[in-house]
Amino acid sequence: MSLARRTRLKRSVAHLAAIILGAFLIMWSLLPLYNMVRVALQEKEDVFSSHVIPISPSLHSFWTVFDTSYWLLASFWGQMGNSLWIGIIVASLTLAIGTLTSFTIGRMRIRQGWMLTNAALMTYVIPMSFLAIPFYGIMGKYGMTDNSLAVIAVEVTFATPYAIFIFQQYGASIPLELDEAARIDGASPPQIYFLIYLPLMAPALVAIGTYALLLSWNEYLYAFLLLSTEGKITVPVGLGKFLNSDEAPWNYLMAAAIVYAIPPMVIYYSFRRKMSSGLTMGGVKG
Amino acid sequence: MAQLSRRHAVAGLAAVAAASTTRTRSVKAAEPVTVWWTQGFYEAENKAVVDKLAAWEKMTGTKVNLTIMNGPDLITKLIAAMQVGDVPDLVHSVTGDRFLVPRASWDDQLVDVSDVIESQKGEFHPTAMLGSRFYNAKLKKHAFYTVPIKCSTLMEQIWRPLIEEAGFTDADIPKTHDAYFDFFQIVQDKLRAKGKRIYGLGYSMAAKEADSGTLFHHFLVAYGGKDIVLPSGKLNIDDANVQKATVTALERLTTPYKKGYVPPGAINWGDVDNNNAFFAKQIVMTPNATISIAVAQMEKADQYYKQIITQGIPLGNDGEPVPGILAVSPCLIPKGAKNIDAAKDLLRSFIKPDNLNQYLKETRGRFLPVMMSNIKSDPYWLDPSDPHRHVAVDTGLSKPTIPWWMNYNPAYSAVLSEQIWSQAEANITQKNMPPAQAAEEAIGRIKTIFERFKIG
Repeated sequence: MSLARRTRLKRSVAHLAAIILGAFLIMWSLLPLYNMVRVALQEKEDVFSSHVIPISPSLHSFWTVFDTSYWLLASFWGQMGNSLWIGIIVASLTLAIGTLTSFTIGRMRIRQGWMLTNAALMTYVIPMSFLAIPFYGIMGKYGMTDNSLAVIAVEVTFATPYAIFIFQQYGASIPLELDEAARIDGASPPQIYFLIYLPLMAPALVAIGTYALLLSWNEYLYAFLLLSTEGKITVPVGLGKFLNSDEAPWNYLMAAAIVYAIPPMVIYYSFRRKMSSGLTMGGVKG
Repeated sequence: MAQLSRRHAVAGLAAVAAASTTRTRSVKAAEPVTVWWTQGFYEAENKAVVDKLAAWEKMTGTKVNLTIMNGPDLITKLIAAMQVGDVPDLVHSVTGDRFLVPRASWDDQLVDVSDVIESQKGEFHPTAMLGSRFYNAKLKKHAFYTVPIKCSTLMEQIWRPLIEEAGFTDADIPKTHDAYFDFFQIVQDKLRAKGKRIYGLGYSMAAKEADSGTLFHHFLVAYGGKDIVLPSGKLNIDDANVQKATVTALERLTTPYKKGYVPPGAINWGDVDNNNAFFAKQIVMTPNATISIAVAQMEKADQYYKQIITQGIPLGNDGEPVPGILAVSPCLIPKGAKNIDAAKDLLRSFIKPDNLNQYLKETRGRFLPVMMSNIKSDPYWLDPSDPHRHVAVDTGLSKPTIPWWMNYNPAYSAVLSEQIWSQAEANITQKNMPPAQAAEEAIGRIKTIFERFKIG
């Protein structure tokens, strides 16, 4: 066999292996999602069937979620509103605190600012779940149990250190000359923050905003501990109630989970354009 | 005159003080009562409690803040609440008698509700009374720290059409323990021979929640391990009969699993999952803590009346009745509750025999009454046209029952929480450990736990 042919063969084998590996990874990633959709399209009695493709698929489960006609879904839209409210406030506060901190440390060059960044990251040494009881105690003392502000406070506490770190790192790539030029033109620090810093930070804002939103969107432990009243709980806590029923409503559970996944996806894709446009804004024109 | 004025002034002040005290009391009585209640397995269970509490709210004018949450979550949340001292006024936890109350009573974290029990003392089933009495290590005495609301024992739920498809009838199901459970292995073989992908036995075997523990301990009692803890609170696990029972129970539960007569996923089943597997006809039978499987299908008359068989626990291998372990679902008041008086008042009203009976009926009789007068005065419970309820009543209330051993010593609650016996099952099924060795390891751990709980 000639060398060229052997090389071609090697390349083909490598290519085939890459395709097989890729297919396996795609299957691995998408199978749970497919299973969610498959179960959501089935009737309650069929959810444990071993059919890979639903025999008689129907949108009945999705309709049940929309008209909340099943008892465990009666407060679904209220819970969705609670999740949305908490998620948006957590994302907004995280972005505000994170950018202001990184701006102060990175652009205004306060002394020993690096210590704050490092100290913030140190908070991740203790797992979130370990702090549940102390947080519950603190919120109880402030009379904030069964109050969505308590969940917001907790989520912001956990999202902010990472936000500060990322903003600090990303901000370092924005030339300080831009600030200096603005200052020479008479811009005040707030003007530099709003008119120069934030627009250039857009990609990082989208990434961290999405992260903070998803952190609170999917949070169960703190939402469950801190919120009690039916009208105040979030969707993950509401969906947790499905796991205690004899009626095996897995199709409704999966349909509700799919519906619940839509808002963060919409929010992310709406802002994604900003991510790439922000990336191209970083250059300094001569 | 001056003296008279002073006397008048004192009297006036006393009157003002008395009036303000009365006012404080009435304001306090009107403070809302926060209630946490275990979520039902179906809508009627939740609705029944909502209706009952609403009626009390209307009667007394005291607002009730009710939160319904699923069983395991409620216990987690209550433990957190007790640690930080921000507790609800009243709690109903279905599995609290096993996983929460024994150690909370031991640690003096619950309000003594003997006065509430006293209001209906003659009504309660004797085992339910025993199941509500716990030891307080601080006060060094037993007291009633819970009020029994409902109870249950292990029941067997079977698909009749599957039995018939295998060529049998109800009458073919054996009556004694080993033969009874072996029968469903034969049914599986016959159904598999017909090409059906099915399992004969729906044993819960996960090291979580309550069902697997309930099943193991039923086997333990059936094989003679009833005296694992003595009424004095002493651990009796070195007794030869008890040790033999632990090994046999482990062996008899795990061998069918290893032979493929139990679904592989059963080692990860939560309390609801054997029910789900049953509904999906993945299994022919399942032992279950209540008759919830049948009751959840009440609207489907064909399933409820014809297809699902409910049976009590089989006789022992010697043909003698095996006592059922009576689980008592309690209400409790955590120490630090802000409105204890109102919580007790609510409880007193809730456990009036007619009220309690009505509540249990509205929950469709998934759980059994704790008051014998309910059974005697209301034909609902022994209605022969209902194929499930009277069987449960017979097993749980008419036949011999025993309380869970944590009523004798709270250490056994830690044994259940740590899922020691389910872990032993996992050692056998997952690590191929011999049952005797798995039992020995479990016994060692249990002895260590009991060291921490010395009664008296």
